Amino acid sequence: MEYNKVTAETIEELRRIFGERNVLTEVEKIEPYSHDESGTQFKHMPEVVVKAENEDQIAQLMKLANREHIPVTPRGAGSGLAASAVPLHGGIVLAMEKMNRILEIDEVNMVAVCEPAVVTNDLCRAVADKGLFYAGYPMSVEESYIASNVVTNAGGSKVVKYGSTRSHVLGLECISPTGEKLVLGGKRRKETSGYSLLQLMIGSEGTLGIVTKVIVNLMPAPGVTVDLLVPFANFDDAVKASSNIIRTTKVYPVTMEFMDGFSVRETTEYFNLPSLPAQDKAEAYLLFTFEGKNQEELDELAEKAGTACLDMGALDVFVASTKTESEKVWKVRTSMPDCVTTKYRHMLAGDVVVPRSEVAEFIAKTQDVMKKYTGLKLTFFGHIGDGNIHPNFLDTLGEYTDEEWLKVAEQAYGEVCMLGSQLGGTVSGEHGIGLGKKTVLRQTLGEYPISLMKGIKKVFDPNSILNPDKIFDLEQ
Amino acid sequence: MRIAVLVKQVPASDKVKMDEETGTMVRSALDAELNPLDLYAVEEAIRIKEKTNGAEITVVSMGPPRAVDAIKEAIAMGCDSGVLLSDKVFGGADTWATARTLSAALEKLGTFDLIFSGERATDGETGQVGPSVAAQLDMPALTYVSKIRQIGDGKIVVERAIEGGHEVVESSLPALLSVVKEINEPRMPNLTGKIRARKTEVLTMTAADVGLDSSTTGLTGSPTRVVKVFYPSMSRNGTIVDGRDPDDAVQKLLQFLNEKALV
Ligand SMILES: Cc1cc2nc3c(=O)[nH]c(=O)nc-3n(C[C@H](O)[C@H](O)[C@H](O)COP(=O)(O)OP(=O)(O)OC[C@H]3O[C@@H](n4cnc5c(N)ncnc54)[C@H](O)[C@@H]3O)c2cc1C
Ligand SMILES: Cc1cc2nc3c(=O)[nH]c(=O)nc-3n(C[C@H](O)[C@H](O)[C@H](O)COP(=O)(O)OP(=O)(O)OC[C@H]3O[C@@H](n4cnc5c(N)ncnc54)[C@H](O)[C@@H]3O)c2cc1C
Repeated sequence: MEYNKVTAETIEELRRIFGERNVLTEVEKIEPYSHDESGTQFKHMPEVVVKAENEDQIAQLMKLANREHIPVTPRGAGSGLAASAVPLHGGIVLAMEKMNRILEIDEVNMVAVCEPAVVTNDLCRAVADKGLFYAGYPMSVEESYIASNVVTNAGGSKVVKYGSTRSHVLGLECISPTGEKLVLGGKRRKETSGYSLLQLMIGSEGTLGIVTKVIVNLMPAPGVTVDLLVPFANFDDAVKASSNIIRTTKVYPVTMEFMDGFSVRETTEYFNLPSLPAQDKAEAYLLFTFEGKNQEELDELAEKAGTACLDMGALDVFVASTKTESEKVWKVRTSMPDCVTTKYRHMLAGDVVVPRSEVAEFIAKTQDVMKKYTGLKLTFFGHIGDGNIHPNFLDTLGEYTDEEWLKVAEQAYGEVCMLGSQLGGTVSGEHGIGLGKKTVLRQTLGEYPISLMKGIKKVFDPNSILNPDKIFDLEQ
Repeated sequence: MRIAVLVKQVPASDKVKMDEETGTMVRSALDAELNPLDLYAVEEAIRIKEKTNGAEITVVSMGPPRAVDAIKEAIAMGCDSGVLLSDKVFGGADTWATARTLSAALEKLGTFDLIFSGERATDGETGQVGPSVAAQLDMPALTYVSKIRQIGDGKIVVERAIEGGHEVVESSLPALLSVVKEINEPRMPNLTGKIRARKTEVLTMTAADVGLDSSTTGLTGSPTRVVKVFYPSMSRNGTIVDGRDPDDAVQKLLQFLNEKALV
C-alpha cells in the first residue's frame, strides 16, 4: 500500500480539530506509540499522534484521512500482544486514552455504558461497588481498555465459565473508516435484525471501525470464591489432569490456569516475588478458582477437585481462601507475560487454542517440533481450562538478530499453529492476528475465508485507511 | 513445649488495598481475614513445633463469632487447637482491655512457654496488644523479632529489627514475641490442613469463663476512648521549574539539589 505523508497543512488541520495540546509530533512524545507489548521487532513510528476527546473529532479525522489518503491506527493502552496497534505505514495514530469515563451503570437493565478507554479493572471495581459483576478479566486487566478488549475479543482467566469479551458486549457506537456514525446493538438483550455488524466489529482489531462507546452486560456479583494452587512434579500429569478434571468431577471452575515451572521460577526471580509453594519440585502448576453460593458449597467443591488432583498425581493442593493468599498466587500469574516481554529482547507470545480434550496431545507434539529449533526455548502458561495455552518462544541465549528472530520464530510458530489446527484448534484464541500471525492465519484458514474478510474490509473501508494490512495483507 | 499465638480477624479492606497497594480486583468475596501480619507469627510457631518434639500450638483470638474463621485458617496452616474469646461484654475494648481479656484467658489455659503476636493489626495498628499482654502476665516482651537464633533450656535468643540494624537479645522463657515480616514467608494451607481445620472444634470462652466481669472488659473496662478518627492531611510544597529555557532549568535544578545536599 502507498500512502501520502502527513504534511504541515495536515498537522494544522489536525490541530484545529483536536486542539493544540492533543496533537503530538515530537519524536520522544510519539515514540511510545510506535510499539505495543509484542516486542520491538514490530516497531514502527507514526508521523503524528492525536488524542481524541469526542466522536465528532474522530469523524472529522476519518474524513480528512480519506481525503488526504493517510492511514489511521487506533490505539488503546498499547498492551496488545499482536502488534495490531502499531502504525505499520506511519501516518496518524488515534489515541483513545482521554475518552475514559464510565458514563452509566444502569442497574435496571444490568448494563454499563463506557467510553472506549475505561481501564477494564476500573469498570470491574465500579460495578462491584454496586454488588454487580463484569466478567471480562484479561490478565492485563489493570492496564488494557474496554474497547480494545472488545476489538481483540479479549479472553483471560474467566473464559471457562463466562466466555470471552464477545459474550459480554451488548452494544457499540462506532465511527466507520469513512467517518460515518454507526450504532450497533444497544441495551437490549436480543436481536435478529439482519447481519450482525455488532459481532463483526467485535474482534476486528481496529480495522472496521473506531469504537466510541461500549455497552456491556453485568451480572449479580458471585458469592464466595476460593483459589486452589496445585503443583505437579510431572509436566504431563498436570496437562492431563487439566483435561480430565471437569469430566471426572463435574466440578466447573471459573478459572483453570496452567503455569510451567520455568515460567514460575523466572517470574518470581525477575520480580523478586515470594516463591510459590513447592516451587523447587514442581514442573507445572494448575491454578483454579471456584465460586460458590456459600462457604459450605465452596468447601465441597474445593475438596472434590482437590482430591481428584491428588489422585491424578499432584504433589499437594494449596488453598488460598483469604485475600492475602489469593493475591500472592495471582501476582505471580499476572506478572508472567510482563516477565517474558521485558526480560527477553526477542520473544513471541503464542496464542494457539485447541479443544480442551486435545491440549495434552498438542503440547506433547509441540515438544517434538521444537527439537529442531535448538536456540529457541518454548515455555507454556495460560488459560488451559479453555484450551488456550500460550506457547511462548524465547530467545533465552540472546543469539538472534532482529531479522533472524522474526524468521525463525515465525517459522516455529507456524509449525506449532499447523499442529494446533490439525487438532481442531486455531492460531489465536485472544490476542488477535495483528502483524505477526498473518501468514499462519492464511496457512491454516485457506484463501477463500481470507478473501471474504478482504471483501468485508473493502466494503467498510474502500480506501484502506483504517489500520491497513493487519490480520491479512490487503494486496496479496 | 506449649505455644500460644494471638491472632486478630481484620477487615480484608479491599478498597484501601486495591487503591494503594495492589490495585487488583476483589478476588474473594469474604470481607474479613486473619490479620496478614499475624500469618508470620503463626508460621514461626509452626516452624518451632516442627523442630521440637511434643510441641503444641493453641491459637487465641478475641472477637465476634465469625472470628472463628481466622482461627481455623491458623489451624489449617498447622496449629493444633483454637480458643475464641467471644462475649457481648468484650465489645468496644481498647488495647488495654483487649490485652486484659487475652491475658486472663491465657492464664486459664495453663502455662505457655512462648506466646506469639503479630507486629500490629492492619486495622487498629497500635502494636500495643502483644507487649501489653506480656506486661499483664509479667513476662519478658521481645518485640520486632526478625529471627529466632536459638531456643531451649528455658531461654531464647532472638534478633530484633531496630533502626539501622539488628539487636541480639537473650531472654528467659516464658516470653512473648511480636514478630516482623522479615522473619519468614508464611505457608499457604493445603487441602489436608483445611479439612482438619474444618473438623476441629474451636473452644469458645465468655467473660465468665475467663473469670472477668464487665467492669474490666469491653468498653466499660477500657481506660482510653477513641474520640475522633481522621487521616492526617498530607501536603506537598512542589516547585515547578519552567523548562522553556533548558539551560536555566538545569541550573535551577542543580541549585535545588545542592541546597538539599542531594548531590
Ligand atoms: C501482561 C499482559 C497480559 C495479557 N493478558 C491477556 C489475557 O489474559 N487475555 C487477552 O485476551 N489478552 C491479554 N493481553 C493482551 C492485551 O492486553 C489485550 O489484547 C487487550 O485487549 C489490549 O488492550 P489495549 O487497550 O492495550 O489495546 P492496544 O494494544 O492499544 O490495541 C489493541 C487493538 O485494539 C485497537 N483499538 C484500540 N482502541 C480502539 C477503539 N476505540 N476502536 C477500535 N479499535 C481500537 C487497536 O487498533 C489494536 O488493533 C495481555 C497483555 C499483557 C501485556
Ligand atoms: C473499628 C474499630 C473501632 C474501635 N473502637 C474503639 C473504641 O471505641 N475505643 C477504643 O479504645 N479502641 C477502639 N478500637 C481499637 C481497639 O482497641 C483495637 O482494635 C484493639 O484493642 C486491638 O488493638 P490493635 O488493633 O491496635 O492491635 P495491635 O496492638 O496492633 O495488634 C498487635 C497484635 O496483637 C494481637 N491482637 C490484637 N488484637 C487481638 C485480638 N482481638 N485477639 C487476639 N489477638 C489480638 C495480634 O497478634 C496482633 O498482631 C477500635 C478499633 C477498630 C478497628
